[in-house]
Parts: sequence; structure tokens; C-alpha cells
Amino acid sequence: MQFELRTQVIEPQRKTFQHLIDRYGDRPASRYEEGTIDLQARVNYHYRPLWDPSKEIYSPDYSALKLTDAYSFVDPRQFYYAPYVTARADLHEAFGATLAYLDKRGMFQRLPAAWSSLFQDVVLPLRHYEAANQMIASGAARYGWGTSITQCFAYAAFDRIGNAQILSRAGISFGGGTAESLDLAKRTWLEDEAFQPLRKHVEEMLVEKDWGVAMVASDVTDRLIYGLFYTALDDAALNAGAASYSLVAQHLSQWFTDQRRWFDALYKAWVSDPELGEANKALLGSIVSTTLATALAALQPVAAKADGLVDAGAAASLATAAEQIVAAFAALGVTVETPAS
Amino acid sequence: MTITPKAPRKLTMKQRYSALTRDLEWDPSYVSDEEMFPLTSFEGITIHDWSKWEDPFRLTVDAYTKYQAEKDKRLYAVLDGFAQSQGHLSLTDASYLNAMKLFLQGVSPLEYQAHRNFAMLARHLNGPGPRFASLCQSLDEIRHAQTEIHTLSNYNKYYAGFHSYLHMHDRVWYLSVPKSFFDDALSAGPFEFLIAIGFSFEYLLTNLLFVPFMSGASFNGDLPTMTFGFSAQSDESRHMTLGLEAIKFLLEQDEKNVPLVQHWINKWFWRGYRVTALVAQMLDYMLPRKVMSWKEAFELYFEQQMLGGLFQDLAYYGITPPLHVDKAMQEKEYLSHQAYWILYQFSHAAAFTTSVPSDEHMDWLTEQYPDTFPIYRTLWEKEKKNIAAGGRHFIRGLPQLCQVCQIPMGFTEADEPFIQAQRESIFEGERYNFCSDGCQYIFDHEPVKYRQAWLPVHQIYQGNCGAADLPGVLDWYHMKPGDGGEYLGSLDNQNWKKWHDMADETGGN
Repeated sequence: MQFELRTQVIEPQRKTFQHLIDRYGDRPASRYEEGTIDLQARVNYHYRPLWDPSKEIYSPDYSALKLTDAYSFVDPRQFYYAPYVTARADLHEAFGATLAYLDKRGMFQRLPAAWSSLFQDVVLPLRHYEAANQMIASGAARYGWGTSITQCFAYAAFDRIGNAQILSRAGISFGGGTAESLDLAKRTWLEDEAFQPLRKHVEEMLVEKDWGVAMVASDVTDRLIYGLFYTALDDAALNAGAASYSLVAQHLSQWFTDQRRWFDALYKAWVSDPELGEANKALLGSIVSTTLATALAALQPVAAKADGLVDAGAAASLATAAEQIVAAFAALGVTVETPAS
Repeated sequence: MTITPKAPRKLTMKQRYSALTRDLEWDPSYVSDEEMFPLTSFEGITIHDWSKWEDPFRLTVDAYTKYQAEKDKRLYAVLDGFAQSQGHLSLTDASYLNAMKLFLQGVSPLEYQAHRNFAMLARHLNGPGPRFASLCQSLDEIRHAQTEIHTLSNYNKYYAGFHSYLHMHDRVWYLSVPKSFFDDALSAGPFEFLIAIGFSFEYLLTNLLFVPFMSGASFNGDLPTMTFGFSAQSDESRHMTLGLEAIKFLLEQDEKNVPLVQHWINKWFWRGYRVTALVAQMLDYMLPRKVMSWKEAFELYFEQQMLGGLFQDLAYYGITPPLHVDKAMQEKEYLSHQAYWILYQFSHAAAFTTSVPSDEHMDWLTEQYPDTFPIYRTLWEKEKKNIAAGGRHFIRGLPQLCQVCQIPMGFTEADEPFIQAQRESIFEGERYNFCSDGCQYIFDHEPVKYRQAWLPVHQIYQGNCGAADLPGVLDWYHMKPGDGGEYLGSLDNQNWKKWHDMADETGGN
């Protein structure tokens, strides 16, 4: 039996804000919808930007990739700020617990020597890759069109600094509580020949002015990097008794699964746009073909370096990841040229 | 077998923070610096060493998300409880919500704009320290936009004036005041934005722009908004330290930056101060239960804290108080009276309501403004006679707007309460009108920018606002019956009475 609490019943005048009623009909709106849809101004800007008087303050023309209706895309995670920070607080707390365990049990010291070298010389330098992706995503969060899209970019930008910090914190532990390993990894990023094609690729993505091109290029590169280092090598690490590698990698691969959810929905929105879908498919085909070839070539020396350290088939995994990318875009109706391997 | 891990030599907090943030930076070698950071050279600011930026706070992503998630959990619990218990009925009066309508229509969209442009700084500033601080602020600002919307969403369900705030922000005449202010900052370069928003808005004027709404909420039974205000406080204090660090950094980097920064302080003080005219009238006229007068707020938060504190410190760098600050100090005696008088007469075209202040209210205003309010009281006494004779006063024509701040030209000369202030500049054969020396100064420095302004009245005359007649324009604004005009007898006023009568009958609330 329930107890009956009497409250005053007042009939509301309306269920939500008018722009949501216009879009979704007369129903209560979610907090995601109230905090996202139509937030960005679309008309009547007062002044042209001093830094680019040819454009408006916000404009769909900051990218060639466009949607007829920006809000045909919504984040499948329904992330507005509160659920976003809550989810990330959990992720970082889980990683903190992992790290505490790794420290307590001296797990980094127990890594087989080859895996220890792999972590130092191949994985830790990638924290700079993460940091660069923050800048790419922040640029997209400013110049993108429509809050449902830019909000995903804004959170992704913060995620990338978070990922860089996950790698850095692991690196500090790995270095026995010092910054020595991080310093070494930075030198690798800057000077090691195997990393220079990747660094060049990253710097070129950073100066790409079209936010759509930059984000897609970043995503294609992510798929190769996450596929190789945090998925394929994760498995190999477990088989090789390098448990701490896997324990760190799981948090990054878990993050990437989350990242894929909204990014895949965005691709779907781009290619299924009633008016611009075909143009978007052609554009994506060209962006992805170019980036995949560049990124794959840039990562081959890194994979070769990994293969020189551990017997984990990194080069083969990279090639597989590239094939999966071609197949995934084909499924969207986007033709991507298979890169020469 | 047990392995005892060697005791790690711990990094100091500062070293650790640096390893987690700044050390991620590298100098590009495959693209030029100019390609990597194309926006930080055109404004004329010289930065010799970005590493000299002192991190205003040391937050890492794990700490930030943990702390913010806990704050939001508490805030949303309050919002849910208030909504469930029909908490809106315990406000002082439905007319209090006029302040919140103005806030949602005028201020929340600015939080969103700040979110977008701090993301720009998180991409485009050359130093990793200020980039990360900007990234955090960009996230805080979307938090503020969304938590404000969620806080006020419940009022929208029961009261007029909230329903189309986004549509209105981009179109309605009085909302072009805050919108043009922020568009001005967004269309500037990254350094000017830092001074405009990071320093002037978030530091210099925040206690005048933001805090009066939150204090008004706490005095008038608006628990959700008050809780939001408290919840935003720790974010705001981070933003204030960022703003202060930004200005010090620019001033310390090169002496040549000083005159540029001084000009931006002059400009953004006056630009922001003009937006506070809306806050001034809110404090003095819209709150059923008063917090403090505008004059008192201005003296405390600006004259004492800023002129008496901050600018004493900035004098070391050769920075002087903003130009035209003397005008603002003169205006504190009458700004709110003139601003409300304008809104009172045009509220039939607004999404808030106005009313003649009660006798008790006017007595309070007389106490607060013994030298000036008696003049305005005679206006209100006359208006009361009009109303008694059945003629509540609305202006049917359209006002001339100041080209810069976009407030209707209703402010007077400081010493002449009945002489409207009007300044003009000729640029390329066109005449532009201003409400004040401050706005004229701003125009004269950047006429090419300010002549672009989307002035709502001009736009109506040019036929860009749906119709040539008032009902047509109001329709284009998405205004509905009950949104504007006189409060007494309005939809909100009637519902308020009805709901309280119901409560009395059922013995609830």
C-alpha cells in the first residue's frame, strides 16, 4: 500500500519552451533538449569578425561538411554538462583506482622489459597526440554550426586533455613518481625518426581551417591509433603477461567506445541528410581517403617500432584497422580508396 | 614472493600540474608558428614569453569533473524538489519573475556565447597554460547556460515571458543591448576578448551584472536561482582569477601593450556598464523585496572594490581608471529611474511587465535617492492620475537607439534631468547618434565595426521584422498575450491570485 501525499495540483500553461514544441510537438522536453537545441544564434549578428570579415560570427561556411538542419543530429549519449562531467568523474575515478593498484603492487616494474620499452617509447609519446586533439576539437567547438554538434566537440576537447593526463599520470607512476619518463617520451615525440611522420601529420591537422575536415581527419587517425594501441596491443599484452599495459589501455579503449557513439551518429547525419547527403558522402570520401593514406603512412614507422620491441603484430593490426575504416565508411555509402600498404 | 615498490620521489604539486598540462606543449616544426596561431598577431599585442603566464588555478581533469559532478548533483536535487512541491508559489510575488525573464532572455544566451569563444581561446592562444584555463572556462560557461535554462525552465511552465527567450534574444529591441555587447566581444581578436569578457565582464563588472540577480533571488524566495548562484560561485571565482591574470600578463609582457589594454578597458568598461542599465532598473524597480539600491551596489562593488582596490594595483603598470567612469558615477543617481521609465513606456513591446511603483516602493526610492528620486516621483504621480483616468501610458512610436549600446536614447545630461543627452558623429557622410560620450568614444575608434550594428528599430523600418505595424512585429518576436505590458491584471498576476486563492481554500501552501 502507498501512502497518499496531497499536493496542490496546478495545471502548467505549457510543457516546455516554444522552440522545442515547434520541433518535437507538445510534449515535455528532456534536459538535454532544453540545454542544447537552438542555443546557438543563427541570425542577426551585429558585427563581422575582425579576424575574418568575410564570415559571420557563426556560420555553416566554416566547414564544407554541412547539415540542412543542424539539429537533425543529436548526441545519442544525451550529454549536457551534468551527465557529461558525471560520466567523466567516474572514468577518472576508475582510472585513479587502477593507478593506485598499479602503484601499490609495483605493477609497472613487473612489466616484461620489452613491454616496458613499448610503453616508454611508443605509448607515452602519444600524450602529445592527445593534447593536439584537444586543440582541434576546441577549434571545432568554436567554429562548428549548431549546439548539438559543437557541444560534442567541446566535451571531446576536454576528454582529450583528460586522456593526455591519464597517459601522463601513468607515465609519472611508470617513472617512479618523477617526470623522467615523460621527459624522455617528449624527446621521442620531438626527435625520434619513427614519430616524425606522425607529428607532421598532427601539426598539419592542427592548421586545417575547415573544422569538419580537421575533425574527420582526427577521427580517422584515432581509429588507427586506438585500434592498434589500446585494442590490439591490449590483447597481446595480456597474452605476454604485461597486465599493467592492459589495465591502463582499458580506460582509453572504453573512452574511445564512448567517442564512437556520437561520432558515428554524426557521420550518419551527414550522409543521410535529405539535401546534402550525397555531397557529404563525396566530401567524406575524399577527406577520408586522403587522411587514411597519410595517417597510415605516418603510423607505419611507429608500428614497426612496436614490432621491433614486442611480438604483437602491430603492423598487421594497423593494416587491419585501415581495412575496417574502409569497410565502415562503405557501410555508410562512402567510397574510400584503400591505401597502399 | 613480494616486491616492495621503491618509494617514489614525488613531484611537487606545481611540477605535477605542469607535467599534466603545460608539458604537453611542443614547438611545431612542420608548420610555422604563424600558421599554428594565426589569430594572435593582428591586434598588435606583443608577447615575448608565454611561459610567464601564471596558472590562476591548478585543476586537473579528474579533480574538475569530480568536483563539478558533485555540485551539479546537489543543484539538480534542489531544482527537482522545488518543481515537485510547486515552490514557485512561495515567491514574494509573480512580478519578481520579471527579473528572471530578463535574465533568461538577456543573460543566459551570453553564457552560451562565452562558452563558444573560450573554446576559441582554448585553440588559439599560443601558451598551453592560458589555453587550458580557457578550456575549463569554456566548459563552465556551457554549464552556466544550461543550469540557468534548467533552473528557469520550471517557471516557464507556469508564467509568461519565458517561452521564446532564444528567438527573442536574436530579435527583440531591448535584448539587442546584451546581444550586441557579446557579439562585439566575439567579433574581436582573442586578446581583446580576454580583456572584454575575461577581465571587464568577469572581474570588473561581475558583481554588478550577475550578483544582483542572484541576491534578488535569495530575497524573493527563488531557491533554485539562489542555489544556482551559489553553485556558480566557485566557477566565477576561477573566472575572476583568470581575468586578473590575463590583464597582468599582457601588461607585464611589453610596455607597448599598455595603451592598447587601456583603450580596451575604457571601451569595455563603458560597453559593460551600459548593459548594467538593465540590472540597475531591475534592482530598483523589479524586485518586490529589495536587496539594495543600484546606487549602493555601484558604490560598493565598483567605487570601493574596483576604483579603491583593483585600479590602485593596476596603477603600477600605468593603467588608469576607465575613461568616462566619472559619468557613470554621476549617473548612479538616476540611471535606474531613467532606464525603468523607458522600459515602463515600452513594455507593451517586451516580454516582461512593468507597473507604477507603489507608494511604499516610492518611499524607499526617496530614501535611497533623496536628491534625484523626487523628480521622478512627480512623473509617477502624474502617471497614476493618467491611470486613474483610464490612460496607462505606452509609447506607440519607435525610439531612436544609440548606435553603440542600442538603448533607446532616453538618458539625460548629468546635470539636466530633462535634457536628453545626444551625441553624434559623421562617418563617410552618414550621421550616427549616441546616448553618451562613452558610446561616441567607442564608435569613433571603430566606426567600420559599429556602423554594421543590427539596430532593431532600423530593421523594423527597413521591413526586416515581419511587418510594419506593432502587432506584426510582436508576432515576429513570438510574443504572446500576457508576455508584456502592465503587470496589474496581467495573465501572471491573475494566475498568481487564482493559485493563491486555491491554496488558501485547500489549506495548502
